[in-house]
Amino acid sequence: MRKALGGDQAAYAELLRETARLLRPFLSRRIGFEGDADDVLQEILVSIHKARHTYDGNRPYKPWMYAIAKFRLQDYLRVHYADQLRHAEDIDDLENIFGADVTEPAISYESISGEVLKLPEKQATILRLIHQEGYTSKEVATTLGMTESAVKVAAHRAYKVLRQKLER
Amino acid sequence: MKDFEQLVVQLAGEASMVKPAPHPYLLSLKLIGAGAAYLAVSLAVSGLRPDWTQAISQPWFVAEIVILFAVFVAASLSAALLSFPDLHQKRGLAFAPLWMFALFLVVMWFAWRADSPPAALPLHTIECTSCIVLVAFLPTAWTFYIMRNYASTHFHWAGSVAILSAFSVGALWLRLQEANDSIAHVVEWHYLPTLAFAVLGLWIGRRLLKW
Repeated sequence: MRKALGGDQAAYAELLRETARLLRPFLSRRIGFEGDADDVLQEILVSIHKARHTYDGNRPYKPWMYAIAKFRLQDYLRVHYADQLRHAEDIDDLENIFGADVTEPAISYESISGEVLKLPEKQATILRLIHQEGYTSKEVATTLGMTESAVKVAAHRAYKVLRQKLER
Repeated sequence: MKDFEQLVVQLAGEASMVKPAPHPYLLSLKLIGAGAAYLAVSLAVSGLRPDWTQAISQPWFVAEIVILFAVFVAASLSAALLSFPDLHQKRGLAFAPLWMFALFLVVMWFAWRADSPPAALPLHTIECTSCIVLVAFLPTAWTFYIMRNYASTHFHWAGSVAILSAFSVGALWLRLQEANDSIAHVVEWHYLPTLAFAVLGLWIGRRLLKW
């Protein structure tokens, strides 16, 4: 840091890299999201750069550096939790949801079976084999003479069509 | 956000030689010197209280002035230390105004006990607080101006001690200028408002010292 304060750019770049190496585990322990931890790390480096005149080189570097890191981390956490509060559900709003009957299914077994029968024959067969006969995708592929990935794609398309029809 | 390596190269490119900040003791001397000079000039302009020879013969008055000056010194030192992100690794000293203010409260309690029978309450009330605010305005602005050149990571506390330091100058000036011995009055209209402004400093510090 002393060299950096003297204007040695290579020493300063090395110091910033070493600082980042020290701070990465410190931040990832406290911030769940990898992308956010990287953003905070970069903010800390910018802050260290701005405040470098407050370090005189006669006292240990780490306490000075961690003081700035904690300060920026607290800033991030303050904003993060303020956002969480803004997006939180009000307990009064939840009362309307509590009142709804959640034990009565909106979709019956018969309605699903009816929609499955309306699917193209191959998709309907795949769903029947998987969900009624208990076949795996590989066994269905062997039975119908398809590749396993083709079975999965067909099943996925079938689920998509069923979801659209049942959600109407 | 930019790529990490790109940021390092950019910051390193901007790393010209910087002049290190002065030691916080020097910085606090600058604050104390400026505050004391301002107090001396203010007293020279307004004049000392007419009964000052009699006042300085009262031990609790002298103790009050001495401890109030000590609060000013401790708050200025703390403001200087709090201007550094790591408090210049002197955490104990940075919180010295708390102990000094506690000592001041003890002195005031003894002064109040000694004020028997109580001195007559002056007719004015809020005027004293207004005078302290007016006198403390310049030292407050000066202290915050100085502190903004550094990088405080404890801006709430830094704002509070900066106000305490400046308002101590205002309170000292009024106590040395006004012929008044009512302890109840000085506590109510001098020192409690000073404390209230120091609490307000927690918010002002956030507004002015955040970086």
